[in-house]
Amino acid sequence: MGLGLLALRASRTSLLGRSSSAISRPGFESGNPNFNLVRWIISTPELQKPEAATASEPAAPPPPPPRTPVGGARVHIEKPEDAIEVFVDGYPVKVPKGMTVLQACELAGVDIPRFCYHNRLSIAGNCRMCLVEVEKSPKPVASCAMPALPGMKIKTDTPIAKKAREGVMEFLLMNHPLDCPICDQGGECDLQDQSMAFGSDRGRFTEMKRSVVDKNLGPLVKTVMTRCIQCTRCVRFATEVAGVEDLGMLGRGSGEEIGTYVEKLMSSELSGNVIDICPVGALTSKPFAFKARNWELKGTESIDVTDAVGSNIRIDSRGPEVMRITPRLNEDINEEWISDKTRFCYDGLKRQRLNDPMIRGPDGRFKSVSWRDALAVVAEAAHQVTPEEIVGIAGKLSDAESMMVLKDLLNKMGSNNVWCEGNGMNPQADLRSGYLMNSSISGLEKADVFLLVGTQPRVEAPMVNARICKTIRATKAKVGYIGPPAEFNYDHQHLGSGPQTLQEIAEGRHPFCSALLSAKNPAIIVGAGLFERKDKDAIFSTIESIAKQAKAVRSDWNGLNVLLLNAAQAAALDLGLVPESENALETAKFVYLMGADDVDLEKLPSDAFVVYQGHHGDKGVYRSNVILPSSAFSEKEGTYENTEGCTQQTLPAVPTVGDARDDWKILRALSEVSGLRLNYTTLGGVRTRISTVAPNLVHMDEREPASFSATLAKPETQQKMSKEDFGVAVENFYMTDAITRASKIMAQCSASLLKK
Amino acid sequence: MASLLKSAFNAIKEKGIRNVAREIKEAGFLNCLPDGNLLQIKIHNIGATLVGVDKFGNKYYQNMDNQYGRHRWVEYGDKKRYNASQVPPEWHGWLHHITDHTGDELLMLKPQRYGIEHKQNYTGEGDEYIYHSKGHSLNPGQRNWTRYQPWEPTKTDG
Amino acid sequence: MFARLASKRLLEIRQIFNQSPSQSSRSLSTALNYHLNSPDNNPDIPWDFNAKNKEKVREILSHYPSNYKQSAVIPLLDLAQQQHGGWLTVSAMNAVAKVIEVAPIRVYEVATFYSMFNRAKVGTYHLLVCGTSPCMIRGSREIEDALLKHLGVQRNEVTKDGLFSVGEMECMGCCVNAPMITVADYSNGSEGYTYNYYEDVTPKRVVEIVEMLRRGEKPPKGTQNPNRIMSGPEGGNTTLLSNPTPPPCRDLDAC
Repeated sequence: MGLGLLALRASRTSLLGRSSSAISRPGFESGNPNFNLVRWIISTPELQKPEAATASEPAAPPPPPPRTPVGGARVHIEKPEDAIEVFVDGYPVKVPKGMTVLQACELAGVDIPRFCYHNRLSIAGNCRMCLVEVEKSPKPVASCAMPALPGMKIKTDTPIAKKAREGVMEFLLMNHPLDCPICDQGGECDLQDQSMAFGSDRGRFTEMKRSVVDKNLGPLVKTVMTRCIQCTRCVRFATEVAGVEDLGMLGRGSGEEIGTYVEKLMSSELSGNVIDICPVGALTSKPFAFKARNWELKGTESIDVTDAVGSNIRIDSRGPEVMRITPRLNEDINEEWISDKTRFCYDGLKRQRLNDPMIRGPDGRFKSVSWRDALAVVAEAAHQVTPEEIVGIAGKLSDAESMMVLKDLLNKMGSNNVWCEGNGMNPQADLRSGYLMNSSISGLEKADVFLLVGTQPRVEAPMVNARICKTIRATKAKVGYIGPPAEFNYDHQHLGSGPQTLQEIAEGRHPFCSALLSAKNPAIIVGAGLFERKDKDAIFSTIESIAKQAKAVRSDWNGLNVLLLNAAQAAALDLGLVPESENALETAKFVYLMGADDVDLEKLPSDAFVVYQGHHGDKGVYRSNVILPSSAFSEKEGTYENTEGCTQQTLPAVPTVGDARDDWKILRALSEVSGLRLNYTTLGGVRTRISTVAPNLVHMDEREPASFSATLAKPETQQKMSKEDFGVAVENFYMTDAITRASKIMAQCSASLLKK
Repeated sequence: MASLLKSAFNAIKEKGIRNVAREIKEAGFLNCLPDGNLLQIKIHNIGATLVGVDKFGNKYYQNMDNQYGRHRWVEYGDKKRYNASQVPPEWHGWLHHITDHTGDELLMLKPQRYGIEHKQNYTGEGDEYIYHSKGHSLNPGQRNWTRYQPWEPTKTDG
Repeated sequence: MFARLASKRLLEIRQIFNQSPSQSSRSLSTALNYHLNSPDNNPDIPWDFNAKNKEKVREILSHYPSNYKQSAVIPLLDLAQQQHGGWLTVSAMNAVAKVIEVAPIRVYEVATFYSMFNRAKVGTYHLLVCGTSPCMIRGSREIEDALLKHLGVQRNEVTKDGLFSVGEMECMGCCVNAPMITVADYSNGSEGYTYNYYEDVTPKRVVEIVEMLRRGEKPPKGTQNPNRIMSGPEGGNTTLLSNPTPPPCRDLDAC
């Protein structure tokens, strides 16, 4: 039986292998190029005149070896019958139907020059740079807008294609100023690179160049509109991704220009991305203007911590200074965009830094001391209180390692009152599904109805909002929103503003119920702002009953999501940073604030000893008795878990300031001084310790979905929902944490863009 | 030898003995006694043509009777501490047989607006001549490399 | 000599600065591509279609499927322009955007693209001189000069009484009767709006036409050459004078 099957398989390969597998592997028949030619290229003259074809056969060169696709381009052909074969410079590639010629060329490893084409935006086809020659086409073809057709023979480096590109480049450079030496895009400019690679060495234009009035797009984007080549990428970005239709193409002919027509700032929280997509220096970063050249910068691939999304970023630094932050591609989290807060918060890393350990003297003034003295004072104070009076609070920006060490240290001291701010006093940390975005950020694209409960994703997590916006553009998904009046950049129904509306939906009395119940993949997104409410459990059990009715939690779809606010929240709950008693702060005598600035310290007894360990002189500092300087996210290696449960880590891009140390090292040193030695000394040791508590936190760049689903609330809930409306979790998008509050750029943004 | 004595005698007669003695001192003849190199140059100079004198007082001589390649030399203006870096660039080419144009001719080609004055090499001449980069702690104008602004504990309430 | 050169240059620079910004760029037959607030043109001025035109708006929208309302942008802008005396304010464009349910910038894009949409004030009678090659060869420059001289204005400038403005237009398809001018008559709102061609004009004749318009008369539209009938040759037809004979046809009965 087995032998017969093998024989059958062998005969099948010998019969069919030539037609199917040889195409996908062109080296298969490399010993016989003529055979390949006859099999693959079915051209009419050869069929009509077989003798001529045989005569010319020996002269035909063998197909060139396959090239690797550009930028790791991959293609997934869902149905094999949808695949078509095209030839790029004689090399056959299989592409799915509906792909453009440009994409087919990319798969074949040929990089086509382009300006207006961007694979995340709609096709415009107005720069004409991507012209290629297609056999039997009378004119060069704009490859970005031309769908690939079966058997198409695309030629990318023939004299016609080259001449077409040269001509287009000459036209583009006609009105482009020659100010590359003073242009911030210099060195990373598409026009510069492509005119070197594809342009002519001379131009014939002797007339005056056009000039265009610069537009004011706000404090983040600097415009030099004379440099614009009218690719309309920014217009399409603003319309399609950012969802604010502010930019447009005005005028015609040589007077064409990008603008807003009426004086208007770009009111998007994603506006910084137009800097990246602009192929020339027309839109550049205002805070970065004339600060550095891009080749002077050292890039460090890191993670953003200003919100819970954990956007992938590259921190560009020069020496000890962070010069700018740019996005990194991650299809599952931020695609290739980042929010303005992520991009421009970096100047906050250079201001208001704590650089020396300080002790508040008896006169109420801080004075700098050595680490030894500061730690001794803290250890002394910790020994003088009873264990129940010790409280530790982790801040919004804390990494998992430091939170682990903080918890271990306080546990050794005998206290279990350690929590992370933003999680509330009664968090649900037992089941991961209760605080994660269970359908994952990229999974939101499958949803067809969204119900946002007490969350304004536009200010809480702009990248999640961009995902929702993308889904709505693609599928016309419906959005219902419960919460205080808020700004959205897509169509939505404002269902109500408080738990009452939630109750109505749960009881099926609300008109939105029909949409929710008929949805295939309903996504319910609950804001983490609700964690602070007293009636949290009741609200969550109501939401759970809605999810049950809407069948939002199934084996193939989990649409019950929590959108967290801060980078530290998910990891803190994974590590079990849960306060023992709800009013621990009222009786605390020794408070350890690890970067926690938004804790209400008014409740604290006046004789409490407060230690502030953090990197910025922010709100928490003023109440503290001892300041221990620590390093910011750009200066340390730390693990963060984002709102969908994906573990990522930051890497140090710049040295720490002054005498600051990593958070976990300070705590480890404190444990030594106070005689409660923790038994790890390296970051690896801390991570080993973490892996025993939350193993998912050591699997970098992996999303660990919640294993048990469908429980948001603690099961034994007997609460009643109050009538109080849902609050606004993020008052000012641009200033949410210590870094952004210290940033001047963010202050400018909130002054000019949040003006009503 | 006789002509030499005769010219010396004439000079004394014209200028007076004191002036001649001063000239001999300024021309470095007294330094010839401890400095053999200078003496050798002085002897060489007899019968050679003086091609030019630069602004540092270096005298450039040429004697076509010498072996080719040894027919141009310089007598440094500074008789006590002299080295090759004292030759200004305009004379360098002539002295090293790169060009036949003398330094006086080449001086005309010197860019008027941005050419800087020639400076000899002071290496080893003292600490004040050692160059330290802007970041070096010995550079008096050392730049401040602190790229952050520390928090100032001014408010003490709380 | 140097002083003379310098003073000359100074004069030139002063001249450039003396021109108001809108004036210099409006010499290109279109106004600025961005909006500057002015007392008679800013987004705070309320603007809406009047009752009669609302009816028309409904009629125009009925031509398009309800999910492609934005297709009506050009007819609606035209209607708004007729109603507002020949030019579009920002608030008029915003009103159109509201009707067709798009972002205002999409309407601005269209309005700035087409030179027939005036975004600056024009006269009640907007005279458009064809400036394309056939008319230019036949003397459209002289006609424009005559108009400007007679009205005492610059191109795209409105006369003091607000009656006339002169603009330039690209080919209006009347090359056979070149040179020609068009008069857009906004004196009676969108009901009495006319857009008439006056062809075969001469510098003398355009001045007469302007004076007739000023008196409220209606000059005969079409060719101004009394010896021509429409676009026929001067002095009557010269060919095809006889009755056309039918084409020869084989005698079906004979077979």
